[in-house]
Amino acid sequence: MTESLRVTVDRQEGVAVIHTEGYINNQGGEEIARVAYQLIDEQSKVLLLNLAGTKIVNSIGISILIEIIEKMIEIDGRLGFCNLTQTIAKTFEIMGLAQYAKIYPDEAQALADLRSAT
Amino acid sequence: MIATTREDWEDLLALSQSESAARPLLERLLEHWCRLHRAEAAALYLERGALLERECTHGPREFPDFYDPAAPAAEFARGLALFRLPGGALVFAPGEIPLADAATLLLSEASKASRLSRQLKEQRFQANYRGVELEALYDVGLKVASTLDLEELSEEILLHAVMLLDARRGALYLFGPGGYKVQRTFGGEAAESFAAGDSALARFLAGEPGAPDSLLPGARHLLGVPIEIEGSPRGLIAVGDKESRRGVGPFRASDRRSLGLFANQAAIALENARLHLQALEKERLEREMSLAAEIQRQILPKGAPEIPGYELAGWNRPALQVGGDYYGFLELPGDRLGLSVGDVSGKGMPAALLVSTLHSALRLLLERNGVGPDFLERLNGHLADSSTANKFVTLFFAELDPGSGELGYLNAGHNPGLILRRDGTLEELGSGGVPLGLIRAAQFREQKTAIHPGDLLCLYSDGITEACSPDDEEFGLERLGNVLTDCRDQPLPDLIQAIERATTAFAEGYPQGDDQTVVLLRRAG
Repeated sequence: MTESLRVTVDRQEGVAVIHTEGYINNQGGEEIARVAYQLIDEQSKVLLLNLAGTKIVNSIGISILIEIIEKMIEIDGRLGFCNLTQTIAKTFEIMGLAQYAKIYPDEAQALADLRSAT
Repeated sequence: MIATTREDWEDLLALSQSESAARPLLERLLEHWCRLHRAEAAALYLERGALLERECTHGPREFPDFYDPAAPAAEFARGLALFRLPGGALVFAPGEIPLADAATLLLSEASKASRLSRQLKEQRFQANYRGVELEALYDVGLKVASTLDLEELSEEILLHAVMLLDARRGALYLFGPGGYKVQRTFGGEAAESFAAGDSALARFLAGEPGAPDSLLPGARHLLGVPIEIEGSPRGLIAVGDKESRRGVGPFRASDRRSLGLFANQAAIALENARLHLQALEKERLEREMSLAAEIQRQILPKGAPEIPGYELAGWNRPALQVGGDYYGFLELPGDRLGLSVGDVSGKGMPAALLVSTLHSALRLLLERNGVGPDFLERLNGHLADSSTANKFVTLFFAELDPGSGELGYLNAGHNPGLILRRDGTLEELGSGGVPLGLIRAAQFREQKTAIHPGDLLCLYSDGITEACSPDDEEFGLERLGNVLTDCRDQPLPDLIQAIERATTAFAEGYPQGDDQTVVLLRRAG
């Protein structure tokens, strides 16, 4: 089980995909935020967070993800999540993240939808 | 001025009405405030718990993320003027700037609104997160009914516990015969095990301060609760280092209650999985025993060979599904007949395996070398090499020359054979050696007798003579002799049934403690 978060970025056509592997906690969330804000600075306005390698997100991690969502709203960008475990999907639903960021079952569907809107 | 054009005003109005744009509005107001007061740089801090957190800045100067009013760092405020705004906001800016103007008032009101908005957002976040906690408890509850895989369940329980308590580390231990054994860890290593009576662990689980050092090495703050079913231990959950945005800290009293509640749910789920594993193991053993019983049924003779002038029969009733008794009929060179009755120490699968070894060795040795003077020594050597130290076999082996009635026999620690002579005399064929497999250098002496017309030979295992009554009395050799005497003229299958009925009646329902075997040989007379 990987606990410290690893983040990789895959720049697809029109969409920057952030892959995570590990625990999205304070440190993990900050790392995602650092990468996301850097992408925003580089003019990326459509981000996809692929959480296939993440089994667990705590409340600090969620609050940081909410900040990223707020930032995306500020810049009039789009943010999506895909490949969530059942527990994480339910957590996002309860915490209201699903109202502001779309949740997709997999990366292919996410890319197709996010690209169509750009 | 805040806004100089109609577009500026509309922009500001939009910002003030947007829930997600509190910070841009404050940035705009701070910028205006700086411009009005000719401050090249400024930072606005809002209350966050006991500290003040930087909300926004203007100008080229760097400002720290947090300001602690109880311990302000000297370099922080050097050259800066501090403006306290109603509503808990602070503005730091270089130089002396007069207060109580419209811009400051506006900034103050916006800060207050922003702080209230943030508080509202945090409260909403906390309320929502209570929902996540309840959902996690519900999920683990669901696992009670849906997951019987102990590995999967353990991971679910630990991940939920770590997530719910915002912990950085965690470990799940299960309680077994040797104490607490680690089942799953998260975020780092944990002690492999704890003895059941570990006093430091017991105090920690009772909520006293101080955790065993080895529990989650390196964790600064620990919380642990027992997993119990009706007061008896089933395991424990420990978590370490509660996270906040500023790092890690101790857990709260409410965290102990949450984890305790969670452990109650986990206990039921784990107990269910444990019982399921037990049931699977029992089923596996039963299948194994059933297979071994089938193998043993194949080893025992299907019937008795036809020997002109003689009747021959054998019978076996194991105490468990798989027994340790053995009997066999072997046709030897020169139309001679080998008879064997053996008893392997113990019962069940280990005994059945040794019976199988005995059967194979007996056949191979007799086919290759015949009975010969050292037959039993070689069999003993083979069994001593292939069985464990505490396993042995008693064996009565007899070789009959049907023509003459001569009977040579070897007895390795087995019950004496019986011959009921035609005149009603009962003779015992005594022991001539130690059980096989015990002493590698043991020697055995063959003895001889004869089966005359009308004589009845009975070989048996101790399950017959040591069959117990409820009063703990043994069936004994005398009662066996009486049955043989009373039923001596009956067909051998009927005589065997008589022995079976007699031992069963004697036991009066008391469970059969050992395997029972009988081999009968009668010479027509």
